[in-house]
Amino acid sequence: MSGPGIGWYLIVAATLFGIGAMGVMLRRSPLIVLLSLEIMLNAGSLALIAFSRQLGNLDGQVFALAVMAVAAAEVAIGLGLIVAMARREMPLDVDEATVLRG
Amino acid sequence: MGEVIVWAVWFAAAGGCLASGVAVVSLQNPFYSALALIGNLASLAILYLLVSAEFLAAAQVLVYAGAVMVMFLFVVAYLGGKADAPWAGGPPLLRTAAVVAAAALLVEIVVVLGLAWGDDLRDPAEVDDSFGSPGAIGELFLTDHLLAFEITSIVLLVAAVGGVVLGTARERE
Amino acid sequence: MVAGAWVCLLAPLAGALAIALAGTRISRRTAGWVSTLTTFVAFGGALVSFLALWAESPEDRERLSTAYTWLAAGDLEVGFEILVDPLSSVMMLVVSGVGGLIVWYSMGYMAGDDEERRYFAYMSLFVFSMLVLVEAGNFLLLLVGWGLVGLASYLLIGFWHHRPEAVAAAKKAFVMNAIGDATFALAAVLLIWETGTLEYPGVFEQVDGLSSTTVNLVALGLLGGAVAKSAQIPLHTWLPDAMEGPTPVSALIHAATMVTAGVYLLVRTHPVFEAAPDVQHLAALLGALTLLVAGLVALVQWDIKRVIAYSTMSQIGYMFLGAGIGAYGFAIFHLMTHAFFKALLFLAAGVVIHHLADEQDIRRMGGLRRELPRTHLAFLVGTVALVGLPPFAGFWSKDAILASALAEGGALGWVLYVAGLAGVLLTGAYAFRLYFAVFRGERSARAAHAAHEEHGSGEGPLSILVPVGILAALSAVGGLLSIPGVWHPFTHWVGESAEALVEPTTAQDYVTSLVAVALGLVGAGFAHRAFAGGRYLVTSPAAWQVLEHKLYFDDLYDALFYRPAVALSNALRREVEEPLVERSLEEIGSGTIQVGGEVGRLQSGLLRTYAIAIAFAVAVLVVVFVAVR
Repeated sequence: MSGPGIGWYLIVAATLFGIGAMGVMLRRSPLIVLLSLEIMLNAGSLALIAFSRQLGNLDGQVFALAVMAVAAAEVAIGLGLIVAMARREMPLDVDEATVLRG
Repeated sequence: MGEVIVWAVWFAAAGGCLASGVAVVSLQNPFYSALALIGNLASLAILYLLVSAEFLAAAQVLVYAGAVMVMFLFVVAYLGGKADAPWAGGPPLLRTAAVVAAAALLVEIVVVLGLAWGDDLRDPAEVDDSFGSPGAIGELFLTDHLLAFEITSIVLLVAAVGGVVLGTARERE
Repeated sequence: MVAGAWVCLLAPLAGALAIALAGTRISRRTAGWVSTLTTFVAFGGALVSFLALWAESPEDRERLSTAYTWLAAGDLEVGFEILVDPLSSVMMLVVSGVGGLIVWYSMGYMAGDDEERRYFAYMSLFVFSMLVLVEAGNFLLLLVGWGLVGLASYLLIGFWHHRPEAVAAAKKAFVMNAIGDATFALAAVLLIWETGTLEYPGVFEQVDGLSSTTVNLVALGLLGGAVAKSAQIPLHTWLPDAMEGPTPVSALIHAATMVTAGVYLLVRTHPVFEAAPDVQHLAALLGALTLLVAGLVALVQWDIKRVIAYSTMSQIGYMFLGAGIGAYGFAIFHLMTHAFFKALLFLAAGVVIHHLADEQDIRRMGGLRRELPRTHLAFLVGTVALVGLPPFAGFWSKDAILASALAEGGALGWVLYVAGLAGVLLTGAYAFRLYFAVFRGERSARAAHAAHEEHGSGEGPLSILVPVGILAALSAVGGLLSIPGVWHPFTHWVGESAEALVEPTTAQDYVTSLVAVALGLVGAGFAHRAFAGGRYLVTSPAAWQVLEHKLYFDDLYDALFYRPAVALSNALRREVEEPLVERSLEEIGSGTIQVGGEVGRLQSGLLRTYAIAIAFAVAVLVVVFVAVR
């Protein structure tokens, strides 16, 4: 393929992953955390697809498609949880959800 | 000339990707964050096209941007309100720890890439035009990766049921 | 006959288990009946066994029956086996017969006690344990029975466990018996070491081949056990205290059966002792010493049961004397007659105690002859049998032992003979002192009070009268089983298991009898004179002091063993247990809590912290993977 080699794609994927990770670790609103999680997943898919092109093997793309499906399912449930939280008038703040405190 | 265009498109898409990513993570209004994510997904779709993953690019835009993000926007609109400031809250150590962790991961990946740049990342394999086409992927899904296909469908089923349960659960307080 | 022996052994066990398991679902009277009937069933089994054995020819009178192999370790194999031979059949009859009568008596005596069922369960347990002891076919089972009777004795002495004196007495008995158990066990270990077997025939055959040190040590170990169990000097101090238990217990365990187990041991293991003559003679000397000391101390006791207890100690001294010089048949004969008249004395004393509402001090008794005529007669029979006046039982048995001492001759024989005769004098004195104090003279204030208030229980129901009557009859005629010069069926019978080493001539027997009877009457005369004159028998104050303190044995043991042991345990507790054990336990606990608290702080509950932790972990893993590649 012309254009940048796989290394470049991987750098982008890695940076995106880092950005997403920062978002998960630093934001308090569960909505934003979910969005950041999506970014991380997409970064992973990008890496998969890049490798798939590099090796000429479509398995990477198949995997990326499966990731997409699972991510969609996960977002659905996550949003359902957030809506349930809002309906019970719980504060939408990840720091307040301390039931796991030991 | 073609090479230059490809590189230019690549840089634009990559830049858009990263910029929108940063935007998602740092904006205060969740609505804007969701919109930024849509931009991110679109940039990724362009990148997919550049690596001959046409079907996936289309799926990304249709499913991810078209369905998932719309759902997200519905919820954000329903919930309203502001999200918190990015660096606010939590023990101070948390912020430094988060940055350190993310930086560590990034550095590691860069190092690995650097180590492998020369030899492992040589020229990509030769592919024909059907690479990345829906037919090729569909064929794989129904032959080699049938199990993945079926399990994914079960996961989706479970998610659907779960969503219904979460949505219709009666308030019990 | 073996079946009879098994029935004899297992019936009381079944009774004990039945009562224990039934608990409060059966009435107290039923428990009493269960115990009594199973003991009589045991007697039936013993009788069947005895008759079957009698029908056999003399050479064939030994049967071993193994239930199963109990212990198999290397070359050593020990089975749960019983031995039916003349000696054990006699012991079975005595134990189950006298035991049955006493258990029956208990039904009347212990009626109304809150914990009657426990009592009867323990009594049946005791009868079973004693039968294990006498029926054992090897040393191990003998030791098992030995320990079990010790347990039953402890349980029964401390029966009224809310009385601290009873509990203390039970502990004392158990601890002193434990000393004997230990020496016995060591002897058994030595036997395993040197002979490789614990079976009676196996050991007895090899006994001559052992070195003299070994045999002496084994014999000493066995003697230690016998001395403890039979309350001979120096391990005798527990027996008077054991009178804290109910009177039937004193009768059964501490007069008729358990305390005679030592004598049985000496006779059963006589080949060992014959191979270690010095130890055997030591046994005889200890017996002689005990019979004198006990007789002297009995002269100053005020508690009716303690007088009889010291009398028991003294009479067992006679049996040890007999077994120590090889007059096995006579020793066992005296064991049997003693069982009759001593049990009789205790049971009659029990009637007196009950009648006077638990009064046991003879200074507050007197003149009960008119109120308790039948008891008075029984007690008189017992006393006369004890002193050894013809034709009552004690006369035949005790004099036979003394005559054997005479026949033995030599320095040892003469020492024993004189000691034994002196003992007869003492016996006459204390026995009649007791009789006069309780039954003769003026009616005491206490007795009058009891009769007036109708607290006195009278002479008792059938369950009390019949056993006492039977024992009185046995004390009267039981001795006629061995008439010197005329017939000796009893000693011949026992002699098949343990052949006597000495046999007195008829002349020696008659001479001894004459002297002994005379001395007995002299002793009785002293008692009568003292009583009539309202004086004490022992007039010298110094002698009184010494005797009242039981020759200071208790004080000696207290200073020698008890005080140092208590001091040592207190020191250990202060220096070792508290700082080390208790503190360390506390610190383990608090330390764990502290560590837990620290670790718990990781569980902040903040999701973000967890996410960061995961990110760090992944970072580390990446490094690991890369490095490994």
